[in-house]
Amino acid sequence: MVRKKSPRFAWLRSPLVVWTLIGLAVAVSIGLLLFTLYLVGLDGEVRAKFAAVRWVLPAQVYAAPLEVYPGAALNLEQLRHELDRLGYRAGDELVGPGTYIPAKDSLRIDSRAFAFWDGAQPEQRVEVRADAQGISALRLMGSDQSLDLLRLDPMLIGSIYPSHSGEDRVMVKLSEVPPLLPQTLLLVEDHDFYSHGGVSLRGIFRAAFANMRAGHSVQGASTITQQLIKNLFLTNARTVKRKFTEAWMAVLLERHVSKNEILEAYLNEVNLGQDGPRAVHGFGLASQFYFNKPLNELQPHEIAMLVAIVKGPSQYNPRRAVKLVLERRNMVLKMMADAGDITPDEYQDAIQRPLGVASGPGGGAARFPAFVDLVRRQLAGLYQEQDLTNEGMRIFTTLDPRVQEALENRITNDVPELEKSRRMAEGSLQGAGVVTSVEGGEVLAVVGGRDTRYAGFNRAIDERRPIGSLAKPFTYLTALEQPGRFNLQTPLDDVPIDVPLPTGQIWSPKNYDRQIHGALPLYMALAKSYNLATVHLGLDVGINPVRKTFAAAGFDDVPEVPSIFLGAIDMSPLDVAQIYSTLAASGYRTPLLAIRAVLTKDGQPLSRYAFKLEHTLPEGPVYLTTWAMRKVIELGTAHWATSVLPAGRVYAGKTGTTEDLRDSWFSGFGSDRVAVIWVGRDDNKPTGFEGATGALRIWGKLMRDLDAKGIEPLPPADVAELGIDPVSGLRADEGCGEIVVMPFLRGGEPQQYAPCSNQSKSAPSNWLQNIFK
Amino acid sequence: MSTGKTRSKLAPGRVAAAALVAAALLSACATEHGLSESSSVPAAGAAELPPAMAPGGVIPGAGTLIPPNTVTPPISKNYPKTIQDSSAGPAVLSLYRKAQDARAAGNAEQADELLERARRIESHNPFIWQAIAGTKLDLHQADQAEDFAARSNDLARGNPYIEAGNWRIIAAARQARGDTGGALQAQTQADNIARALSAD
Repeated sequence: MVRKKSPRFAWLRSPLVVWTLIGLAVAVSIGLLLFTLYLVGLDGEVRAKFAAVRWVLPAQVYAAPLEVYPGAALNLEQLRHELDRLGYRAGDELVGPGTYIPAKDSLRIDSRAFAFWDGAQPEQRVEVRADAQGISALRLMGSDQSLDLLRLDPMLIGSIYPSHSGEDRVMVKLSEVPPLLPQTLLLVEDHDFYSHGGVSLRGIFRAAFANMRAGHSVQGASTITQQLIKNLFLTNARTVKRKFTEAWMAVLLERHVSKNEILEAYLNEVNLGQDGPRAVHGFGLASQFYFNKPLNELQPHEIAMLVAIVKGPSQYNPRRAVKLVLERRNMVLKMMADAGDITPDEYQDAIQRPLGVASGPGGGAARFPAFVDLVRRQLAGLYQEQDLTNEGMRIFTTLDPRVQEALENRITNDVPELEKSRRMAEGSLQGAGVVTSVEGGEVLAVVGGRDTRYAGFNRAIDERRPIGSLAKPFTYLTALEQPGRFNLQTPLDDVPIDVPLPTGQIWSPKNYDRQIHGALPLYMALAKSYNLATVHLGLDVGINPVRKTFAAAGFDDVPEVPSIFLGAIDMSPLDVAQIYSTLAASGYRTPLLAIRAVLTKDGQPLSRYAFKLEHTLPEGPVYLTTWAMRKVIELGTAHWATSVLPAGRVYAGKTGTTEDLRDSWFSGFGSDRVAVIWVGRDDNKPTGFEGATGALRIWGKLMRDLDAKGIEPLPPADVAELGIDPVSGLRADEGCGEIVVMPFLRGGEPQQYAPCSNQSKSAPSNWLQNIFK
Repeated sequence: MSTGKTRSKLAPGRVAAAALVAAALLSACATEHGLSESSSVPAAGAAELPPAMAPGGVIPGAGTLIPPNTVTPPISKNYPKTIQDSSAGPAVLSLYRKAQDARAAGNAEQADELLERARRIESHNPFIWQAIAGTKLDLHQADQAEDFAARSNDLARGNPYIEAGNWRIIAAARQARGDTGGALQAQTQADNIARALSAD
């Protein structure tokens, strides 16, 4: 039976409609096919990209750990300062690692566990007692057991991040993060994280409603997954296309990767601040950057602040927009309290607190750019740049934060003061300094300029300037190595001299005071830094032997010209520290090192930097030279220092001044510290400062601040100390009125007795015979 | 001291022998106690040794008068024989003990690290420098062993017990480098000190 077709659908039979429908169906099919292909492609891309995510893990750089032990010269106030620097929290009870209880004569510390290069150290609860002399006792709490030594965890002082992106992070695992952090993050940023499929319609509506109610944007509609996709793979462009791709990629990512993996990736990826060229990524670094302590020690108000600034760390900069951040932090705290994540008491306590952000740009990390610069250079020859910036290596350095702090304080306070005293233009005078250990060649502190946080031109390493009279001890040492010809008492002629140069010119050096001092003992010529006497002496011993002495001390780029006797040698403060540390260590040269050990991110040792020792200069002559350098301070050009240095302690050093007073230097040491200070101008114009009026002022106060130990003036076996009559330079005894006790290399001491001595009075003919022999 | 050292490739047998000498020496040091005077005498570390001369001298214009002095060598028995007899603090003693254990267990690298920590705390303690010299022998770093032992000698300031030990390490280091003549010289030096001590 033929069914009668309904006239109502007659138009369907129109060929136009039929073809349109067919066309539509084909178009939709093609569209669907293309979209499917697009999704398949996107899916592959998401999977490949996520699998290929290689976190940029900059090497972490640590300072030297503080060792606390009975007998350590450290009072409780200083120890507290160190704990505060490490981000330890003072309180009435020990609530976990990184806390301490201060009391009048003791500190109770819950130390952090730390994986050192030579093994892991567990968390310990220790009571530290101190008296006027320093630390008196350590006791393990909860027992009667005394403790010999407590090594605190070292301070994180910086990282070696890639210069092109500036991306810096400290990687954390979700399992190690305090649970309150992800809870709060999800509460604020993505309430339905564990139930949505990558995109949340509820979230969009909730955000829209919340924003409408608040009158401005308080909540974002993007899920954590979407934000991660954007941060990892997409640009910041606010286009529909990007939003579309982001949403679909988020949906696809959720099909392949677990919620916790996404959350962990987010915790490490999210941008939480900017520090000059350095971008702070992830909560691990943000915790160090803002609060100077590890993530697991954060308090609720600190967690709330970090979550608060996720919204936009440049707008919500805790160091600049304090009020704005405080408001948003308190809003986050309110949400935490409403959700029951913190108790009402905790909430009341938390909203009372200030942000508590560590002071200064850089906070806990990147505080010591000049030192980290040195570390970077010493690593450069050993590792690829990419290994340093990406592999999460852990670098243990020799930086002593206490010494660094003292050096920074001196340079930042005293350089502007010197500048003012000469009415120089503000900012025109610069200064740099290096402090090393006497033994072991450890670089303890480096300051590259008066703006100590500025990671630019590093004057301590790169500024090579003539060292002036800092060079003199090496000429005197070369002479004193010949005991048959020279001792400290040998008369030198401080008289004018004309030195013909290979160029045909005549070099006529002058004394700084433009005076001529005639004959004077060798040690006095060094103490008073007389140029003419020094040039005579230098020409006598020869240019090349002096160059050899420099090389033995650790610097071999010395030109073969007579003006090296007066310091026409370009050196950086670090170079000077090298050669002076060889003198300070009695002639044993140790190449200066800023690194102790390098570990992989898993704590496997890559390299250890045991210091190398080489006996390059003979101990006796070095002792004699150091004795003369002590006189520089006792009665010579650096006498001013005795007004600030601790009484009764002996130090050795030398002033340095260059032509037209362009550079002012001082370098010197006690028995545990070598310090070098340079003061000058970047444009190399005269400063008006001699070594004694400029750099010495900083050096003297620095050594005082460091409580540097004095030299132990004990002569080595091949040195004898004898009483000398200063008039004749011959041996003295009780018969003489004035006696100088002076060291001599055995075999180089004067044999004759002075006319004033009882010895010669009893046998005058003998003495006369000796004289005219 | 270092000038004219003959450097040669290390022979494993020699190094082992050298290490044995050093180990025997150190363990001997560790087990010998009991100098009655040592407790009353300020001990190891150059700072505490009886000074040869009052520090500082009189200089023209400085005014003070110090009568001329002659150096009288301190009685050898006044010197601490071991680090335990010395004035080393508990932290250093603890690290030193751990280093000895590590060395005995064949872990010279760890011993070196522990002694490094000790040296940072008491940087002029000659016993520590001597022990580092010993571990350098274990680590087959004969040149370093000799230089550390020499530095220990400088810091020992005449302590014959330390000096004798250092000369033995220097002998072993030279032997390890193949410098038999130099080794013999150092050994003679050590023997002479030992003889003088037993005659004392």
